[in-house]
Amino acid sequence: MNIGFYLIVFQYTDSIGKGTGWGRDEFFVFLATTWIINSLVQTFFMPNAQQFSELIRSGNLDFALLKPIDTQFVISFPRVDWAALSNLFMGIILLSYSLYQLTTRIESPLVLDWRAILMYPFYIACGTIIMYSVMITLASTSVWLGRNQTLYNFWFYITNFSRYPMEIYQVGWGIALWAFFTFLIPVLLVVNIPARIMARPLNTMTSQMWQLASFAVLATLLCFLFSRRVFVRALKSYRSASS
Amino acid sequence: MPMALIELHNLQKTYRVYQKKEGLRASIKGLFKRTHKDVQAVKGINLQVEQGEFVAFLGPNGAGKTTTLKLLSGVIHPTSGTASVMGYTPWERENDYRRRFALVMGQKNQLWWDLPAQESFRLHQQIYGIDTKQFQNTLDELSDLLGLRELLSQPVRELSLGERMKMELTAALLHSPEVLFLDEPTIGLDVVAQHNIQQFLKYYQEKRKITILLTSHYMKDVAALCKRVVIIADGRIQYDGSLSGIIDETTNRKLVTLQFANPITDALLESLKHFGDLVKHEAPRVTLEVTRDDVPAMLTAILDAHDIDDLIVEEPPLEDVIADVFARVSKASEEEPFPDEVS
Repeated sequence: MNIGFYLIVFQYTDSIGKGTGWGRDEFFVFLATTWIINSLVQTFFMPNAQQFSELIRSGNLDFALLKPIDTQFVISFPRVDWAALSNLFMGIILLSYSLYQLTTRIESPLVLDWRAILMYPFYIACGTIIMYSVMITLASTSVWLGRNQTLYNFWFYITNFSRYPMEIYQVGWGIALWAFFTFLIPVLLVVNIPARIMARPLNTMTSQMWQLASFAVLATLLCFLFSRRVFVRALKSYRSASS
Repeated sequence: MPMALIELHNLQKTYRVYQKKEGLRASIKGLFKRTHKDVQAVKGINLQVEQGEFVAFLGPNGAGKTTTLKLLSGVIHPTSGTASVMGYTPWERENDYRRRFALVMGQKNQLWWDLPAQESFRLHQQIYGIDTKQFQNTLDELSDLLGLRELLSQPVRELSLGERMKMELTAALLHSPEVLFLDEPTIGLDVVAQHNIQQFLKYYQEKRKITILLTSHYMKDVAALCKRVVIIADGRIQYDGSLSGIIDETTNRKLVTLQFANPITDALLESLKHFGDLVKHEAPRVTLEVTRDDVPAMLTAILDAHDIDDLIVEEPPLEDVIADVFARVSKASEEEPFPDEVS
């Protein structure tokens, strides 16, 4: 598991970037948040997005289109990959452990703010919706591409950027990446916002971070609407493979 | 004028299909410059179907039958033209419309493969919002009619093809659709299963007075079920009328079988060929295909000259007549100098 890798990294350094505030335990809150969101996506949406691609290719989407119920709903929920849910529990354990470390440390212990505790699950939900939207958008392209076997790889490349604190991109040419994955494909907000809110005191949040947090709500909505549009367009172009 | 239940006006569907020559070089070339061909699956169909009709679509593979049914069920969008089914435009996919029709495809299955059909039926009940009591009554009725009672709790993958098809039909009829589209529902089934499904459809349609459009390659299905036949070939309607009318309209030939009392000599065979084409010679019988108007004169001449034990005058087999129609259409379309091709 990659937690071992990070433990090694933190043997060499105290934090991810000087002055970013992401020390070992803060980063483990971040990592736990990544696990939680990824496991939610992989449990509930990943198998369905892959299945959706396959339905398009094989022409079996026909039946979903015949049902008097929203097609996006029908294709988004039929399968659940329970095995992937184990990472959710691992995430919760890591989160609890790291928060315990943060709140009990001698030097400036973290005081849990009830607003943070309320906002955390909300932003987890936002992040999951953003990920779901990216995934459905990618899967919908199967309609035009015919066959989309590397969906999972592509998904991995995009979401790879969401796995680290956004501060690391804010130097040099990283800023271009930061802007792209914050404003165009907002995967950088997915883990960063809830992790930042939980791992560090709210009163140290910069106004820029608060703006990003507000933007994350808007981004969630926009992402979902965009994916919905792509989905509807895809259904219009659906060809229903020969039978 | 009141609208018919199903109305199609100049409905067209063109698929853009990627063309690739064989080999690696062509594959690489395909990454940069793609050649497409526009395939016109449906080239302008006009059709009206009234409530309660049972209409068969006949046509060779690739004629556009299935595409037409997919357009009517809103699975795909047309390239141009209009369609209305019960006042709805199918490809707008309104939930109200989708609650009122069903599509059954012999080649695709919608039931969950690893689960008993019963489970899929329950899901249908929820999706269509069918009242539990009504659901149970409908399911009981359908499973009795189709003899499925014992099989409902068996995983779908353990069913025979015929049993599975009956389950598919049941699934499609649970919400009591007013319009039913059947795309080759008897494909690959044995004679008994085919017959069962025919009988069931006939009974169900007469009882419920629903409107059914059926495609099939089995003339028996069509003859047993449909008064009206639409022949589609090359994306267009070639014939629309009664089954027996196909013969009157498309062929003027009759089959005449003669059973001779005396041995058939070569000279006799030669003389018979003046009347028509020799189809079969199995002593003591000879079968000739003769132009309809010539039949009386021929019979008079032969009965005068020979001792005849038995005599049959009949229509040519329906399959042959329809195969002739298909062949004529495909020959005519080959003569068009590929007007559809673009790159």
